[in-house]
Parts: sequence; structure tokens; C-alpha cells
Amino acid sequence: MRTIIKNAHLIDATKDYGNADLYLKDGNIEGTDLGGDVDETLDAGGNVLTPAFIDLHTHLREPGGEVKEDLKSGLAAAAAGGFGTVISMANTKPTVDEAGIVSELVAKAEAIDQARLRPSAALSHGLSGKTLTDFAALKAAGAVMITDDGIPVEDSHLMRRACEYARELGLVIQTHSEDPSLRQDGVMNEGVVSQRLGLPGNPASAEAIMIFRDCEIAAMTGARVHIAHVSSKRGMQVVEWFKEQGAPVTAEVTPHHLTLNDSVFEEFDPIYKVAPPLRTQEDVDYLLDAVNRGVVDSIGTDHAPHTRAEKDLDMLQAPFGIGNIEVSFPLLYTELVETGKLELSLLLKLLQTGPANVMNWDAPTLEPGKPADLTLLELKTAQKVDAKIFKSKAKFSPWDGQSLKGWPIMTFVAGKKVFEREGVLEPV
Amino acid sequence: MNLKHKATLMDSVEMGRALTRIAHEIIEQNKGAENLALVGIHTRGVPIAEHLANLIETFEGVTPQVGKLDITLYRDDLTEIALQPVVKKTEVPFDVEGMRIVLIDDVLYTGRTARAALDALIDMGRPAVIQYAVLVDRGHRELPIRADYVGKNMPTSKHEVIKVQLESIDGEEGVELMEVAR
Amino acid sequence: MIKGSTPVTLADPAAEKAKDETQRKRKHLLDLADWTKEEVEALFNTADVMAQVMERTIKKVPALQGFTVGTLFFENSTRTKLSFERAARAQSADVMSFAAGASSLAKGESLKDTLRTIDAMQSDLYVVRHAVAGVPYQLTRWTDAAIVNAGDGRRAHPTQALLDAYTFSKNFADFDSFEGKKLAIVGDVMHSRVARSNIELWTKLGAEVTLCGPSTLLPRELEQFQNVTLTNSVYEAAEGAHTVMALRLQNERMGAGLLPSIAEYQARYQVTEEVMAYAHDNALIMHPGPMNRDVELSGTVADSGRSVIEKQVANGVPVRMAVLYTLLVGKK
Repeated sequence: MRTIIKNAHLIDATKDYGNADLYLKDGNIEGTDLGGDVDETLDAGGNVLTPAFIDLHTHLREPGGEVKEDLKSGLAAAAAGGFGTVISMANTKPTVDEAGIVSELVAKAEAIDQARLRPSAALSHGLSGKTLTDFAALKAAGAVMITDDGIPVEDSHLMRRACEYARELGLVIQTHSEDPSLRQDGVMNEGVVSQRLGLPGNPASAEAIMIFRDCEIAAMTGARVHIAHVSSKRGMQVVEWFKEQGAPVTAEVTPHHLTLNDSVFEEFDPIYKVAPPLRTQEDVDYLLDAVNRGVVDSIGTDHAPHTRAEKDLDMLQAPFGIGNIEVSFPLLYTELVETGKLELSLLLKLLQTGPANVMNWDAPTLEPGKPADLTLLELKTAQKVDAKIFKSKAKFSPWDGQSLKGWPIMTFVAGKKVFEREGVLEPV
Repeated sequence: MNLKHKATLMDSVEMGRALTRIAHEIIEQNKGAENLALVGIHTRGVPIAEHLANLIETFEGVTPQVGKLDITLYRDDLTEIALQPVVKKTEVPFDVEGMRIVLIDDVLYTGRTARAALDALIDMGRPAVIQYAVLVDRGHRELPIRADYVGKNMPTSKHEVIKVQLESIDGEEGVELMEVAR
Repeated sequence: MIKGSTPVTLADPAAEKAKDETQRKRKHLLDLADWTKEEVEALFNTADVMAQVMERTIKKVPALQGFTVGTLFFENSTRTKLSFERAARAQSADVMSFAAGASSLAKGESLKDTLRTIDAMQSDLYVVRHAVAGVPYQLTRWTDAAIVNAGDGRRAHPTQALLDAYTFSKNFADFDSFEGKKLAIVGDVMHSRVARSNIELWTKLGAEVTLCGPSTLLPRELEQFQNVTLTNSVYEAAEGAHTVMALRLQNERMGAGLLPSIAEYQARYQVTEEVMAYAHDNALIMHPGPMNRDVELSGTVADSGRSVIEKQVANGVPVRMAVLYTLLVGKK
């Protein structure tokens, strides 16, 4: 099957190729401006065509949480967000801690034919933090990453053994780094705002302490440890310190931690409740600065959908998590790239080659031979976020109604079009 | 509301004479000033009540008790007023039980203020008798209420407004007829 | 000339109008953040009138006839709930009491669904108490009724602060204004919505507030409030104070590692006669209740003539009557 995508502005994390026609053949990129017969012709309309994004951190809620999201809706949402590959998190019901569950997820995802699914598997049985899972069997079944994300691994000894074993098998461990005893029942960042609002707070030190522990064990064991959703200045400073010493650690930040601060809680809407919490503007600014200095390896969405009813509970009972995969790129493009705070090439790097490097995967570029995982981005028209048309089951969003630019209008996986935006983008 | 002055219905002197007559009538009707109390309805009923008390004291040598009644909590027309009503204190420093009470107000119009005043007074106890004195009766009753003592009867139209001005409140004195400018 | 002995002056019409318009627009009482000093004073004047009503034999006025007030207490409370119910009934409003405590509300049932079910019975106003901050704010999004916050988590308890300040104004010798007065709050400030609302109110009225307690219960961030100082010394807090308010110490705090023991607290933070010797000669003693006798206050101090604890409770009704009146009157 040969496809031509005409009139595309080709950009990847390494290079801006300018305008060209891109040829795809049998699921891979063939080359530019080659000519010859094609089976399918598509017109990119001069828009930016770039490798589809990779998300190392998505919650698809299957098995067990299908009321919030499932593979079908989640992978469709990912494609709508311009993502071609996602790593699903293992904190489901039951947890993904047996090889059989991994196989099932892999098989199901293939049949769905949307964004590619690479499942992660739990570090400990049931996320209990007590006993290690069978990393080798899980890897053989298709797991690409080990993580207890959602729950911090409290026992340092267990973390050490997990790291040693993961290193042996060449697996990356992703950590949710928060010290539970300092975090307590905090629902938002502990600080001036939380004290004024009378809500229990979760101090940045809880994150910093655990990041230190996780980085130290990475250094000690030589395992590749990926620190998920670094949310604070203090936490990021710890990562930087270890990186300077050459520790095998990588760091991720989320779109919401780069764009929102804790003052949003003035409205008392649990829609903003997330772990780790949204911090102060000083933290947000520092994270962005760290991104620009090359300290951050990837942007992961931490897409964490819940039902609207759950997010309408009181602040303590409402679950942690923001569903954001469909608006992540437009949000970052509009609030950071358009305002000059972040270069587009760096943003693409953090969504493409950065995550690939963390996982030791082949870097996604537009070179011939690479898989045709692509997304077409319309960077010119601003449009209001309409959560009601989300592919995700969580049809509500903190950014609902906000005008954003940079909407993915088509996404390809292995040369096949898996997403196309309905209708024309209506300018606001 | 834009008001246009139409006529002066009573000047200060005429008001004084009317109140003098009312004071005499009160004494006559109640056969003296024993057990008598004058309760002025906030705001303008209050100085009128005090003035009447002084007059009665001059004529009879007995001073009736004076009270001030705020009826805001008893009104039934609060949805029609635009602003937050300001509730004032009711000062009735005597037991109304068994007393002969004369409620005093400046203008009698629909009768709703009088009804509210009656309810407020009765919630304080059981007077022997309640009478009602007004400076001006302008007609257009919406309830079966009548005044026992009237300074002046002035039929008016609903577009007109009667403005009673008292020295202690408004700085000048008189009963003015105003019209709503259209 | 008709001379009344009582000078009756009408305020400046423009100011009256401006004040009235703010009051007119106010729908909810979630906290006191945007209340002006003038609004508070107007409310206190209304409370005076309400107090008068409650001194009569017939403790009722028809002011809120036809209105329905619903009490929605997710967190138990006897006194505050009864106080509000009394305040509603004394103005001839109907009261509907929804027992939304742990028993009737399944854990996890969304607030929204609970409210929608109750709302079908069309109350005009809900008095809400909940263990988690922000719930009254959330409720305003899902109903047309007015919401009065009777305490949300550790955030706010506006009617308590109003009745505390009102009690002070009625009982402090030669009271003329709150300007320059000093309120000392002693105890578990961190978890106290009473403290937070009183800080908000008294500083707005021109007073200064000193917060005192062990460091573990006294978050430093509270210094961000204007005219608020923090101290760990109960003597320093009492120095020159016109009112000393002791907060309830909950047993759970010991278990949670916030405080070594009650004995430690008593030794260092109990408000005793010795402590009160530092305060203003006419200083009053307050406590939002219920009090742990001999823990937060020594028995002697609690029973002394300077204690206005019982008056606080009594004033709760007229103050809450004034709140309900102010929010509801004319809204039908």
C-alpha cells in the first residue's frame, strides 16, 4: 500500500525539512517527492506533518476501570491528541502484575487499531510495595516498563532489588516519587494558598525526598530510573544534581504542571486535584526553565480520566487525576510555544525523541525506513476546547471552553490513518 | 424616581394647628391621658408622636408614654422595594398589656403599614385599645383600615406622592404634593 | 415647629444606595472575604433588632414567611444546627432538616446527586456544614438556592466569627469600635475554621489578631494575612489583648503526632488567671465551644465574670436571624 501526503510542512525533532510530499509504503516512510503511482492520496494543506507523539505515561483504566476509560476510548483519545504510541500504567483492577493480563492487553489493543499500546507492568504485586512481580515473564508478554505509578514504593530495600533486577533485564523503572508520610492526606500543594483555603497540603519536600531516594538507588544499582511527573523546583533540583553526577536517571514533566499553578483551587473544583499537586508559579517557572536547559527528558501526559461524578465529590474524596491527552499538545503549543517560552523543536523533541531515548527505542524521525507513525498539526486556527466531543470517556476538562491552537487533524499509525478531525476547525 | 413639585398642601403653621387639634381629640376620646401611650411608626411617625406627647402634657399635665415602632420585619411588600431594607430598633419601654395605645404615622395610604404596625404591636402583648392617628389621609385603601384621628384628608391620584417634611429629619417643615415626572 | 427629641438623620443617599446595592446582590454567605465593614455593621444593627424580638414573649416575626430554609449538615453538630433552625423559625420560615451525616449518605454518593435530590423540595436557602473545605462553593454550582456556610473543613465558619465579634461589641466595656483592638486566638489554629473566619472578620473591622499555639499547630503561612502576628508564647499573645479566644483541642491531634500530650499543652498554652493578667483590664474571654474544661481554659477563667462564652451561644440566634434576613428578604 503506497500513500502520498501532499503539501506537508515536514518537521521532526532533528530537522525542519520544509514543504514536500511525503510517501509512505507498507507502513513505513518511503521518502519525499519521489513520484510514481500511489494507492491513496491525502492533502496536508500546508500543515505541519511530524512523527506521532509518544506518551510514556497514560492511564487507560483497563482492566477494571472501564467506566472511566477503556483501551478503545483511551487509544482513540491518544490518536486524537496526536499520539501514536502510549505506555499504559499498571494501577488497574486487577493490577497488571501477571503476564496473562499483559498479553490480553496487547492482543486487545492490536485489534482496536488506534494508537499503539505498550503496556507497563507493576513493580510489586497488587501495588502493595511488598513482593516483586515476575519482570521477565511480564517483559516476555509485552511489558516495556516496570512501574507502581500511582503508589510510591515505600520500602527502599524493595526498590533496590527491583532496580537490580530491572537492570539485568534491560527494563526501565518509572517512579511515582512522593514520601507518603509527608504527603499525608494533602489534596493540593502545601503553601500559602492551601493555608488560606484551609485544605490539607502536600509539601514539595515530600517529592524532593523521594526523588532523592529513587535517584540514589538508581546511581547505586545502575538501573535506568525514569522520574515521573516532577512537579516542583525542589524536586527538579534534586534530579539535576544527580544528572550532573551521571546517575542513570531521566525526568518527565506533565502538561498541567507546566501551565497551571495552585491558585486554581480558589474555585474549589476537584477537577484540578492531581498527584503530585499543582504547585506555585515559582515551581512552574522553574520546571519550564529546566525544560529549556535540557534537564527534562520527556513530557508525559499522565492522562488520568475519572467520571464526572467522582470529580464532583468533595475535595478529600474526589480521586486524583486530570484527563488531558487530547488537549496536551494544543495546550503546550498555545501557552508555551506561541508565547515564546518554548521552541517548537524542543517541544517536539520532548514528545518524540526524548521519550524514545528514555526507553532506548529507535528515535522517531521522518527519515526513510522509519515507521509511518505521523500526526498532522494545524497550527494556525485557534479553536475552543469542547470536551463533549472528546474521544475519551471523560468528557470534561479544566480547559473546556479555552481557545487553543495547534490541533492535531490527522494521525497515522504504521501508515494507516487512525484519526481525522471531524469538520473544519472553526476559528474563534 | 423623578419627582416634580405640584403644590404645598400644608405649611408649618397649618401642620401645627392640625396636631394641636388631634392632641385634644386624643384626650377627649380617651377621657384623659391615663394609661395612654403614643407609638410612632418609624420614621416620620416618631417625631410626630413626640410632639403630640408634649402637647398632651401641656394640655393635661400628664405625659403619655412614647414608643418607637419599626415595622420592617412585618411588611408584606418587600419584594417591591429595590434595596435591602434597613431594620431599625423598636423602642417601646413600657408594657403594652392593658394600655390604651395610639399608633402615629405621617401618611395613611394603602393601609399596609398600619396593618404591619398592628401585628407588631400585638406580638408585644395585649393592649386594651389600639387607635390610629395620621397627619394626612390620602385615600386608596387596599385593606379595611381607617384612622381614628386625621390631620387632613387629601384625595390624591396614584401618580402623586405626598411628602411630609419634618424639621428634625428633613430640615424643613411642610406637606408637599409631588408628581412622578413622566 | 414639630420637635422630636430623637435626632433622626438619614445617611448620605449615595453611600446608602451603594451599600444597599452590595447587599442586594449578595446571594450566599460562604465566607466573609468580600464583606465590607459597613455591611458587617449593618448586619450587627439588624442583629440588635432580632435580639430584641427574642426578648419578647412572642419570639416571632413574619419577616421570612413563605421561605423554606433547609439544613444540610454532613458533619454533626447540635448547637449550630439548632441555632440556625431557631433563627429561621423565629422569622416564620419553614425548616427542612436533611440528615446528610454518614448514615444516610452512602460514602461516594456525589454531592451533586445528593443536592439534586434534596433540591426537588425547593428550599430557598441551605445551611451547609461539611468536613471538607470548599463544599459550599461546589454546591452553589448545582442549585439556585442560597447557600450559608455553617462550617466547611478547616476553612471558614462565617456566622461563628460574626457572633464572636458581635458578642465583643455588646460586652466590652465602653465599646466604640474595633479599630485598634487586639484579638488573641490560642490553640489549634491550623485546623480551626473559627480561627480563619475570625482573622478575616476582625482584621477587616480594623482590629489586630495574634495567633498563638505550638509550632506544629501554627502554620507560618498565616502570617500572610494583614495585621496578623504569630507567637508561641501565650503570655505574649495575651499582652494587651481585648479578647482572648481559646480554641478547642481535639484528642486526634495527639495521635497524629502533632502534640506530645495534653499535659504539655496545658502547661504551655492553657489560658489561666496568670495569663489573663497580661491582658487588657476589661478583656473578655471567648471559646467557640464545646470547651474542654481545664484544658484550653482553666476552670476559674471559664467561670469568671469576664467569660462571655454563654453569651456567644445566645448571640448566635440573633446574628443568624440577621444573616437569614439579609440574604432572603425581598427575594421572592
